[in-house]
Amino acid sequence: MATRETNPHFMNGVPELLILRLLHQDEMYGYEIVQAIQSRTGAVITVGEGVVYPVLHGLKRDGALSSRRKTVNGRTRIYYCVTPAGSHRLADLAATWSTLTAAIKGMLTGGPNGDAVKRPA
Amino acid sequence: MAMLLNDLRERLLRAGVAPASVRLYLAELADHLADLTEDERQAGRGRAEADAAALFRLGEADGLAKAMIERRQFQAWSARAPWAIFGLSPLVLLAGAYLGAGLILWSGWKMFLSGADTPFVPIHGPAVVYFGLGKLAYFGAPLLIGWAIGLIAARQRSNAAWPMVGLIPVALIAGAVQVHAVRSPPAGAAYRVWMDVPLAGMAGALLHSVEIFLITATPYVIWRLARARLPDRPAA
Repeated sequence: MATRETNPHFMNGVPELLILRLLHQDEMYGYEIVQAIQSRTGAVITVGEGVVYPVLHGLKRDGALSSRRKTVNGRTRIYYCVTPAGSHRLADLAATWSTLTAAIKGMLTGGPNGDAVKRPA
Repeated sequence: MAMLLNDLRERLLRAGVAPASVRLYLAELADHLADLTEDERQAGRGRAEADAAALFRLGEADGLAKAMIERRQFQAWSARAPWAIFGLSPLVLLAGAYLGAGLILWSGWKMFLSGADTPFVPIHGPAVVYFGLGKLAYFGAPLLIGWAIGLIAARQRSNAAWPMVGLIPVALIAGAVQVHAVRSPPAGAAYRVWMDVPLAGMAGALLHSVEIFLITATPYVIWRLARARLPDRPAA
């Protein structure tokens, strides 16, 4: 059986950032979160379907998320939303990520001290 | 689906993930799988095909287990520090229970039997209830602690050696310890209650210890034997 393509090495810390960003806008349950990440990143970033829960539970345990049970269409789901502590964490992570991506972009495009990476002919 | 979740449960528990975290994870995974299956059915797949596709999307047991196991925050204390949970905590709890029982005996003696030279005399009325609490703590604590050790070990699929680390000392202490109550002369002076392990009569104490060990260990041993008979579920 073929293995599912995720982004194992590049993804450290990214699911946490994306989840906090999503839940900062709306409360969601696990399945919704995975679908939202896929659709909003154009499927560039794929979070393992089941792997999202350890991240959610970890964030909840750290006080970054809160949860509540809600019955929808006869099924009980656990909805998560960001707490004030989670908002701070999101701001920190977003700032770190922005700095990192700017630095990498600078490297790739040449920046002030280098040459841009060119596609081989 | 049931096979995947059972396999995952066993892997997580044996790896030391706390039972409460495992339960929540599996419940959410089951819900997620139901959503995925529904999604596949709506995409026009047949039932069997939708089930297979949903399982594939959910991921393999290896990856699902690894995601939980590598986060130390989900580890149970019985896996992080088994020596503390199975070795130290039972002794501390037993000491606490004996201290409580001793205090009840001492205070009850002063309250209900102030003229008596010993509290070990026939009692009536509220004294029966009061001293009964002390007896419950004294005789019940080793059994409750022993059963709790077995329950924790079973829930966590701990190595069989760990519960023995707690059960044996608890049984030895509970079987050997004796309570003494003496009123120092002159009459009306201090009421003294203490516990010790007398060297005389060790054979009887050992027999009592074996009885306590058997009573406390038997449910755990039965559980292990029952699990060992289940296919694909060897005891830890």
